[in-house]
Amino acid sequence: MRTKRLAPYALLAPAMALLALVFAYPVVAVVNQSLSVPGLFGVTHRGFGNFSIIFKDPLFWSSLENNLKLFLTIPFMVIVGLLIASLLYSRTSGWRIYRSLAFLPYVLAVPVIGVVFSYMLEKDGVLNEALSSVGLGFLRHDWLGNPSLAIWSVAAVIVWQQLGFAIVLFLSRMIAIDESLYDAAKVDGANSFQRFLYITLPQLARVIEFFVAISFINMLSWVFSYIYVMTGGGPVQKTYVLELYVYEDAFRNGLSNLASAASVVILTVATIVLAFQAVVRTRVDRIAV
Amino acid sequence: MNSTSHTDSGDARESRLVRREFLRNTGGAGLGMALASLLAACGSSSKTSSASAASGGRTPLLIWYWGEQEAPGMQKFMEQAVARYNAQQKRVKVTAVLQSSDTLYSAFATAAQAGKGPDIQYLWGGTQALVDVWLGYLAPLSDYIDESWLNANIPQGARSQTYWDGKQWGMPFYQIGTALPYNKKLFRAAKLDPEQPPTTWSDFMAALEKLKGTGVSPIGLGFKDQFLGGWLISYFGQQNFNSIAEAIAPFKGGTAYAGPTYTEWISRVKDLVDNGFSNNDVLSINLYQGQNLFPTRKAAIVTSVQPQITSFYRTMGGADTVGVMLPPAFGTGTLARSFGVPAQVLLITKFSSHKEEAAEFLKFLHTPEMMQLMYKVSGAITPDNKFDQAWLDTETDKTMLGWQKSLPDFWYQYYYPLQFETNGVDPGLQKLWEPNGSVAGAVSSMQSAIQQWKNQSPAQAQAYSSWQLLA
Repeated sequence: MRTKRLAPYALLAPAMALLALVFAYPVVAVVNQSLSVPGLFGVTHRGFGNFSIIFKDPLFWSSLENNLKLFLTIPFMVIVGLLIASLLYSRTSGWRIYRSLAFLPYVLAVPVIGVVFSYMLEKDGVLNEALSSVGLGFLRHDWLGNPSLAIWSVAAVIVWQQLGFAIVLFLSRMIAIDESLYDAAKVDGANSFQRFLYITLPQLARVIEFFVAISFINMLSWVFSYIYVMTGGGPVQKTYVLELYVYEDAFRNGLSNLASAASVVILTVATIVLAFQAVVRTRVDRIAV
Repeated sequence: MNSTSHTDSGDARESRLVRREFLRNTGGAGLGMALASLLAACGSSSKTSSASAASGGRTPLLIWYWGEQEAPGMQKFMEQAVARYNAQQKRVKVTAVLQSSDTLYSAFATAAQAGKGPDIQYLWGGTQALVDVWLGYLAPLSDYIDESWLNANIPQGARSQTYWDGKQWGMPFYQIGTALPYNKKLFRAAKLDPEQPPTTWSDFMAALEKLKGTGVSPIGLGFKDQFLGGWLISYFGQQNFNSIAEAIAPFKGGTAYAGPTYTEWISRVKDLVDNGFSNNDVLSINLYQGQNLFPTRKAAIVTSVQPQITSFYRTMGGADTVGVMLPPAFGTGTLARSFGVPAQVLLITKFSSHKEEAAEFLKFLHTPEMMQLMYKVSGAITPDNKFDQAWLDTETDKTMLGWQKSLPDFWYQYYYPLQFETNGVDPGLQKLWEPNGSVAGAVSSMQSAIQQWKNQSPAQAQAYSSWQLLA
């Protein structure tokens, strides 16, 4: 009897051990490392000294600020993604081809995208030449070389790549919506905007929430490749993000303790985002019920 | 001196533990970059295993190296050198793995933490190699090669860049004499004497004005990837110094990085910016893209290193097209007319089980046969007193080797802490290309970077402060 009761745990044990090894142990170890404050040439005591140092570092804050700027792409992607998904859902001619084309950037490797766009966005690059050739030369800019523009140029590239995911995600859910809901709404005299507002949007709430949460985490801890390839954090360190800050401290400056502390900050913010998502999901579930 | 050494060694061991913990942690934490590095390391580890299995009873020796970017042909040289070494003796089997620029440091750091990796590691010289010495990843070369051999063969300038705590750590692999190649045809078009390049700042500015008038970029620069700062400070930042000790004083402590002695050069760079003497997309292209404006004849002068200049010379029409000049002098120090000859180094790793064999191979690379082969295949010169000027086949190389023998050898980048460059010099100089960029702003960035380095890296600062230059 007792063996029977323990059997499920025994079966789960290998998976749990693997999870602990792969996820829990490293996280605990990073936190532990972040609390090891090096004195001369080594660890001399424990405390929050590493956090104190990075919190006093203007570059840390400007890196975080850039991550926050990238968050602004999320509502844009949601709105544009919904619009395009709605257009495709209306079965315009060739919609399957458009759907594939929209998704294509998402399957391309980020470094490849970064390199291609780096060349396109050069001051004498393809984009500026194209603008000049159609009489829009006044719009020419040094997209990656101008400190004020560079982070937004990278953001635009991220949107270009990630938007396809939003479109496919939203469209998939739209296709699964019960047609009878729309039929009933039509019978009740609802116009297309009202059908979108009162049927499509609520039905999409969960996937939108999922996309937003994933995008928040992406913008916080998955933009390193774009930045590293396209700007390297420059010009004038204006495109640093937290991941690059960690990388530079760990692998170029030999400041592993500070890198650990910055990693813990990223982890904390990501955890807060996930917690927020959990709260939102609970509310969405209540609305659905 | 001895007690200092003991302290340093013990501290370095502790530091090694700190970094080992970190890398183990971040590797598991799932950060994409750490994962990529780990994957790279795994790939390399598997190569290590393969090398061992394929050594057929011979001692396997693994080298991770770099250099193809600045000395095209280096890979070919290394392959040939390894093949000859493996053929001429039966005890050791050498395997050389070319690293990319992005993995050179991160893969080695990961491997060093695991205590498994190459027996010989390539690193950029000077403080960029000494940081890994201070972390305890490397073994002193002078423990395995006689001091008398080092003294007899390696030029002092090259030795001093990785000489610390009374020991030689790096074996200079190839040197990258840094100068300014110029296009003689473009000089002629601007009515400049191609055989008499400017030597003073005022002459230089006048020449650039004439070149600009012909429609080319007088100087081709690329600063997007933030490597250019180290070049500019090393071309111009030493001109008011009378000694290397003076140059490193602000980092050792007690001297401010301020006043004309240290910061006049920034005004000179600002002169170049304000007069529009560089291409108009400096901040949107990388260093190598800026240098590539030279072979495409879009720029008359570029920053470059000796092997690359040799490549230009060989592909662009020889002495009729390519000349080489020193950075023009404006300073009053004895280093105003100096020649920067940074040496990239090969180092024996602390965790290598075959340090003696590694040292033997490093000496093999300094045999006349190998030095000639390296120059022939890659255009790179081995920093070795035995290197014979008669082997050189380009006028630019002969000129530069002449400078090396007659002028002080100093390349600032290899003597200051890297954080000074990444957090101070690079962003500070990039500001100069902004509409409101000022010299004062750049100086402020550099001063802050020094203070930040001292605050954030007390261990490195302590090690640096005990740096006694090779007399």
